[in-house]
Amino acid sequence: MSLSPVIARRFAQAVLTPEELEWVDAIPYTNTGHGYDPFGMHPAFVATGLGLFKKLHSSYFRVKNYGIENVPKSGNGILAGNHSGTLPTDGMMLWLDVVRNAQRVPRPIADHFVPTLPYLGVLFSRGGMVGGSRGNVRALLQAGELLMIFPEGVPGIGKPFSERYQLQDWRVGHAELAIRHSAPVIPVAFIGPEEQMPQVARLERFGKVLGLPYLPIPASPIPLPVRYHIHYGEPIALHQDYRPEQADDPEVVNEAAHRVKTAVQGLIERGLEIREGVFR
Amino acid sequence: MSLGGVLVTGATTPIGERLCRSLLADQNVDHVLAVGHHPPERALPFSHGERLVYRQVDLSRSRAVHKLLFGIARDLKIQVVMHLSMHRSLQGRGSRVHAHNVDSLRSLLALSERHPTIRRLVFKSHFEVYQIQHNLPVLITEDHPLNMAGGAPQWLRDRVEADITACTRMGLSDLEIMVLRCAEVLAPGTGSQLFDYLASSVCMRPAGYDPVLNLLSLSDVVRALELACKSSGTQGVVNIPGADSLPLSECIHRWGRTSLPLPDLLLSPAFRIRRRLRGAQFSYGMNRRRFHYAAVADGTRAAELIGYHPENPIDWPAEAQELGSQR
Repeated sequence: MSLSPVIARRFAQAVLTPEELEWVDAIPYTNTGHGYDPFGMHPAFVATGLGLFKKLHSSYFRVKNYGIENVPKSGNGILAGNHSGTLPTDGMMLWLDVVRNAQRVPRPIADHFVPTLPYLGVLFSRGGMVGGSRGNVRALLQAGELLMIFPEGVPGIGKPFSERYQLQDWRVGHAELAIRHSAPVIPVAFIGPEEQMPQVARLERFGKVLGLPYLPIPASPIPLPVRYHIHYGEPIALHQDYRPEQADDPEVVNEAAHRVKTAVQGLIERGLEIREGVFR
Repeated sequence: MSLGGVLVTGATTPIGERLCRSLLADQNVDHVLAVGHHPPERALPFSHGERLVYRQVDLSRSRAVHKLLFGIARDLKIQVVMHLSMHRSLQGRGSRVHAHNVDSLRSLLALSERHPTIRRLVFKSHFEVYQIQHNLPVLITEDHPLNMAGGAPQWLRDRVEADITACTRMGLSDLEIMVLRCAEVLAPGTGSQLFDYLASSVCMRPAGYDPVLNLLSLSDVVRALELACKSSGTQGVVNIPGADSLPLSECIHRWGRTSLPLPDLLLSPAFRIRRRLRGAQFSYGMNRRRFHYAAVADGTRAAELIGYHPENPIDWPAEAQELGSQR
């Protein structure tokens, strides 16, 4: 993978509007000398990602957002949401939604195996993805970045259809980091992706051979064109209720993570209530 | 404020030579005691009157180190030791090389601690001592795990051991110890693996991966060393990043080479053949993870402790050529 930023930029010029190009150019980021940030993100590739996938956002999944004004315009923050759908298209749609509507580039925090995937790892990192190590997350929050974290992790994305909209084991790292680095947590609920690609089986051994946690066998070869509803909740300022040193207290961190989980669950329930149908 | 005398080991290397010049340009430095492996007539291509003294010393012999420190160094009232000497060839193996890389530092530390004039020792360590792995941070701080891989070549094991040797002595005496873990200096004569890698006109690299590397220019490493030399009253381990962070493919392009992505399985044998046929230094096994996963030195602590910020990017040959043809 050695796609030049020049080619990426030309592609973006062909598919994006001048306004979109203008603000992608104005994205604040840490340029470490050759147009890349230390994690490999480059604005030309952000523009390419936007150009490549914006039709998926607007025409295929017809994403509808609620409460986008809750996404901070600047400063650090953590978008924490439910994860599902067999393929991580919910992450992609959240990235596109924030890029297009809040005009910020959120940094998706991926599981450790993602940077090991050939080609995909490079493409994702050029768009802003970062491997989920504690040091990476700390550095990004200190740099004032907006992170995308799915506390359910891989078990969330691979949950069986019968458990849709039921939050899986909710990891607590995001709460600890939010308290330690004074970052607001914005709860996010996805309505739609939990029905896009029901899984009928999973091949764990074969997946391991490919460097994946498992290989999913979905009922549909591609995600169904369900309508995505993304609900952004009001920011939870954990750092105002807890002191930074309390980030070392497991009970405090569990309690804080539970607050985030409850907020996400509440948004899911409200979202399911107002939804008119899986494809509407 | 007078800095007294400064002893520079590895003074005949490109970095050592530039450091000596830079120190001599500072009138606060009374003497520079340059120590190298070469005989005096082939040592330094410049002279500086009485302020520059050169000695040919085999640092792998502890008696010679003792004689140096408690002889001429004491006479010149040396206050700071800048230890840059490290065996650069990957082919260098055995107890003699280990003695040069590690035991010499151990002797310098022990002798400096009880020396009447030396109060500070700066050791130029290497970014290569860090472990690079997909599940470890990209932005590497000083508390990052070190590369303790059992199968690593002596080139690397010695660097890690020397680094730890210096770190373990910190705070045990009045001697101020500073370890600078410098990003790779992309220049000849520095032991740079990447410089040797880029010597081929076609550079093979793993298909599907393009990690971000951080590289340091000669002028920035010399500036960092000089700042560390003069930052009296501070000690600790600091990363010295360079002004160039860029993907491997971009690095190959800017060096004017052609990039050839190949499946990882083919790379080890291909580079082994290259090493046998051309006597090259580059070892793919040692750099394999670095060629897959990004790793960039975090220079926050260097900025705080010694006031170092990367300023001078590398003079990329292909870029310079392009600019030249435009003129």
